[in-house]
Amino acid sequence: MTTSDWVGLIMTVVTFLLMIGVYFYALRPKNRDKLEKNRFIPMDDDAIDSGEKNGG
Amino acid sequence: MDAAAEQKYNFAVVRWFTVMAVVYLVVGALVGVYIAAELAWPFLNFDLPYITFGRLRPLHTNAVIFAFGGCALMATSFYSVQRTCGVRLWSDKLAWFTFWGWNLIIVSAVITLPLGITTAKEYAELEWPIDLAIAVVWLVYSFNFIMTLATRKTSHIYVSNWFFLGMMVMITYLHVVNSLAVPVDLFKSYSAFSGVQDAMIQWWYGHNAVGFYLTAGFLGIMYYFVPKQAGRPVYSYRLSVVHFWALMFGYVWLGSHHLQYTALPDWAGSLGAAVSLAMIIPSWGGAVNGMMTLSGAWDKLRTDYILRFMIMSLAFYAMSTFEGPVMSLKTVNALSHYTDWTVGHVHSGALGWVAMVAIGAIYHLMMRTFHTEMWSMKLINAHFWTATIGAVIYIVAMWVSGIMQGLMWRAYDEYGTLAYTFAESVEAMHPYYAMRTVGGAIFLLGALMMLINVLMTVAKASSEGSLQQARTAAATA
Repeated sequence: MTTSDWVGLIMTVVTFLLMIGVYFYALRPKNRDKLEKNRFIPMDDDAIDSGEKNGG
Repeated sequence: MDAAAEQKYNFAVVRWFTVMAVVYLVVGALVGVYIAAELAWPFLNFDLPYITFGRLRPLHTNAVIFAFGGCALMATSFYSVQRTCGVRLWSDKLAWFTFWGWNLIIVSAVITLPLGITTAKEYAELEWPIDLAIAVVWLVYSFNFIMTLATRKTSHIYVSNWFFLGMMVMITYLHVVNSLAVPVDLFKSYSAFSGVQDAMIQWWYGHNAVGFYLTAGFLGIMYYFVPKQAGRPVYSYRLSVVHFWALMFGYVWLGSHHLQYTALPDWAGSLGAAVSLAMIIPSWGGAVNGMMTLSGAWDKLRTDYILRFMIMSLAFYAMSTFEGPVMSLKTVNALSHYTDWTVGHVHSGALGWVAMVAIGAIYHLMMRTFHTEMWSMKLINAHFWTATIGAVIYIVAMWVSGIMQGLMWRAYDEYGTLAYTFAESVEAMHPYYAMRTVGGAIFLLGALMMLINVLMTVAKASSEGSLQQARTAAATA
């Protein structure tokens, strides 16, 4: 295996593991409410513009 | 509310991109219908080199992908990033530079491609000076988007922006690497790669242009505009996060499935096919996420013609993201490759998914940025049916034609001799090529209805003074 083969292999495996980590984080029941509250961002934008609601 | 948004955000550049997207949809579809007719009735070449299929086909693909698709992506991304971040675009000047730069690139494509000035790389035909211009304009567009995100007033970056950002990063990378070339004069260059490496770079670019430009970018549209039009939040935010990362990780592997049974090593094609199959899961997850946003409010589809476009686009998205992986399998590929089946598959994605979700978003944008209702809702309904029927006729014609082609090419008699000549297979395609032209013409008719509706809405906003009122009210608010 050449150096570029090793670099490619390591980058691929690390990226794959990061992706698995993201799945674990996103699907963990503990994080459900934290993530799902972001569903409403597009719904709130009109209210934010008119000053009825605070962005963030 | 409209007035506050009109003053706070840069909607002017969004309006221009929106209207130009519709103009380019008509132009791109018109050229598409003409070259479809040329294949059915070759006399339409009129022996003029400028309008032969070989020169007009890249004009068609560039017009629909980069002119229509690009303007639709830039309009929707500039609009939604402002709305979801609660801030104006970071730079109005860079936004206008993006608009004029992108349109000048389109004009240069319209001039050079019929003249036969081409790199001959599929979906990257434009010569090196124009490639440089694309890189500059695209980087300016991306930089403005990223800086708008950086100055946002919200704590979280909404998922539609992730998809747009993923597209920007990957398209920069893909465009620069695939366009590496040695110029020999102002209008001619040769690829920096050769042989099978050139083919692999080409299809790494080609499939990822589909994956990151025509899929990730338009999913960004879907994740903002479907919830907005439906008036309901997206079904599952967690599913959208998984969808995003799976798409980013998975799509980059798929290009090699375009090179089955070629000089590319066998394992590379098989790897591309294996990851293609795995991609069905996140793709369908995303389609279900979009459709289930309507859960409990399906009745809206009876009255909301714009929402119909969006939901129908998701049905086509699910269908074409199943069909693609099936076609990448070597057994199926042996029949389907180089036939019209591929053309049918591409158009189920292009007409069904990309065009329909963009059309839905454009109608939404027209009303939001011109601060008025569309000139004719009935015309939107008529557009929906012409677009759907036209796309279905096109796709079915190409399925039948493609499978027949594949079967005729590999049929042989008991002596091992080919049963059909190539010319016989071409002759057998004629009715399906005529049928494809009819399907495309019906789709074009819908696009023309849209253009009329959009121009009349602009005129209506002007005569009502709705845009002026929004500006004035905002200024005095």
